[in-house]
Amino acid sequence: MKRILEKYQLDRADVLYLLVITMIGLAIRGILRVVTTVDWTTYWDPWIMDLKEMGFSYLATDRYDYAPSFVYILWVISKLPINPMTSYKTLHIVLDFVAAAVMGKLVSESTGSKTKSFIAYGAMLLVPTIWADSALWAQCDIIFMLFILLSFYYLFREMPNRAMIFYGLAFAFKLQSLFIFPFLVILWVNKKIKIQHFLWIPGLYLISIIPAWIAGRPLIELINIYMAQGMQDVWSLSIKWANIYQIIGNQYFLLEYAEAGTWLILGILMCVMFAMAQKRYRITKEFIVQMALFFAILTPFFLPHMHERYGCLADILAILYAMMNRRRFYIPLLQILISFNSYMAYLSHLGDQEPAIYYGVWALAELGLLIVVGADVWRYMMDKDNRILLKETAVSGGVSQSRRAARRGG
Amino acid sequence: MDEFLRGLLIKKWKLGSLEFTFLDALLAICITGTGVMMRIAVKGYTVTDNQKIGAMLIDFILAFFCGGLVYDYTGHRNKAFLTYSILVIYPTMIANSALWGRNSVYSVFFFFVGLYYFVKHIGTRGKWWGLLAIAAGAARAGIQFRLSDKRLTLGWPNFYEIIGKEAFVELFNQVSVLCLLGLLLTMAYVFVKRQVEITKDLALRLFLFLALLIPYLAPSMPAWAGLTADIAALVYCMRWPEKFYVPMLHLIVSYSAYAYVINGETKLPMALYSVILLLLMMDTGAGIYREIAERKQDCI
Repeated sequence: MKRILEKYQLDRADVLYLLVITMIGLAIRGILRVVTTVDWTTYWDPWIMDLKEMGFSYLATDRYDYAPSFVYILWVISKLPINPMTSYKTLHIVLDFVAAAVMGKLVSESTGSKTKSFIAYGAMLLVPTIWADSALWAQCDIIFMLFILLSFYYLFREMPNRAMIFYGLAFAFKLQSLFIFPFLVILWVNKKIKIQHFLWIPGLYLISIIPAWIAGRPLIELINIYMAQGMQDVWSLSIKWANIYQIIGNQYFLLEYAEAGTWLILGILMCVMFAMAQKRYRITKEFIVQMALFFAILTPFFLPHMHERYGCLADILAILYAMMNRRRFYIPLLQILISFNSYMAYLSHLGDQEPAIYYGVWALAELGLLIVVGADVWRYMMDKDNRILLKETAVSGGVSQSRRAARRGG
Repeated sequence: MDEFLRGLLIKKWKLGSLEFTFLDALLAICITGTGVMMRIAVKGYTVTDNQKIGAMLIDFILAFFCGGLVYDYTGHRNKAFLTYSILVIYPTMIANSALWGRNSVYSVFFFFVGLYYFVKHIGTRGKWWGLLAIAAGAARAGIQFRLSDKRLTLGWPNFYEIIGKEAFVELFNQVSVLCLLGLLLTMAYVFVKRQVEITKDLALRLFLFLALLIPYLAPSMPAWAGLTADIAALVYCMRWPEKFYVPMLHLIVSYSAYAYVINGETKLPMALYSVILLLLMMDTGAGIYREIAERKQDCI
């Protein structure tokens, strides 16, 4: 025992903390695993039943609107001699723990502090939006979040190829992974990723749909599965997510705003990327997380038809960010509070009642977070110490001079 | 390949005297297309007549003009470019012309052309042309204006949302205009007495302040009464980036006012928006005061 502790440079308190927090994480999930939600009875359970009955040929049908990668997991579950909900939840609970471990590793990688990394591991296990997603709701967001965390891990270690493989895997499971896509473009502009690495995104998706295609589902349907998914829940501009539509009204101009809102966020992202791609910066680990968190909050804030769970990516990035920047401790607290409030709006009363604090107020709080993180990104970019001089900036010296002249004139 | 593409993004091109990068051109094309698509998405809500099509076109021209204005203020090409890009997809501009067909942009256009001419020819006689254009915009807005005898505000979350919009309507319709005129007169008096020189920066601060103040106190203000301030706030923020919250908050207030009138309900109480506007007005007013005070100190 002593030798092991010495080998990993741990003391008894570390081991005790890790053991107890793991037990607590398990206990929370053990208590919640018995809950059966509407999503389970309406979707996963009938899908698994069909898979049991039809086998792999179920994949040829259009009865599922999730990425085929996820349905393969359901297929495996359908083959197991265990209660499907138990095996489904167990798998996702295990992934919760793996994600927590990766989070700990990320924090250790970025801060060099063992204590912080253990706290990050513990925080991930205690965050309500993580345990509610897997153990209570029987959702599968932890899969793509785990891949995103692994992608960050390899970005931190400057291994962009592996990072993009994991990002591609995240995309093969969930469209929401695209919320943070613009930050990868900024990394490419700053020479941290090569353009060919981006091919992993469509490449892995195409590989992931091949079994379903072989099973008999038309290729075009499989390619468009995310598009079809997007057309499903269009009865409200915001499906309980605290975003701009909770401020201006989410039940009016459904068709018009759905289309215009999508164009709006594209326009906003174009402007943001344009502003960020003008200069080259020193890419630090903190800046990577800052950018990703900014986009993880920004995109669902304007995109229509956002679900209650779509803040979960921002939740985990906020934890990582706070671990790297102690002064921003309140960001994960508020972000997770907003996110969990949306979860509960669905889980506890399925939208029949209004929440105690109205969604619009939460949306304003989310906007506040967007501003704080955006301002952090902005300050980083404006800091001359973080700039890398371009060859072309020497050419644009004339512009700077004219700028100075204009300032004098003003 | 990577280096070629990265280099292409920042490579400078010349077209006559105009110098631009590939990234500039890419954004210009994409954002203009996005602006067009956003307008197409919502235009079906009201009849699309020639006036509406004209208003939608002027949206783009105004965005271009404001880009020029920002360039004049900052000498910063990217900021000018971003101003155009943001205004092309500005939700209140799109809602005003393409969705609702209110076409207020015709008046607003004159205001900004006026401001542009004013700051361009500050200190020369040319500035009077700018003031004339602003007067022309005001005249057009005046012709369109309809006084209500039922409510003090017709959708703009102003002072009357706080004190109550249905009491003493006929009396307050007159009193409020007089109060507003009194305030404007007092401001003018202070400026003359203290011999405040109107510089470019001060002109912009004043423009935004007036765009906030007038609809805040004037009676029968419709939901779109904040359009001028919406756009002015963006130019203001480009000039003083630390004031980024001004356009953001104003845009939320403004769009919520549209939603309130069009949908018949609002997600947050309108009085809250009135308070936000009051705070924005105080903030802008304090900016004017500080600038004048600093200049006085410099003279000493």
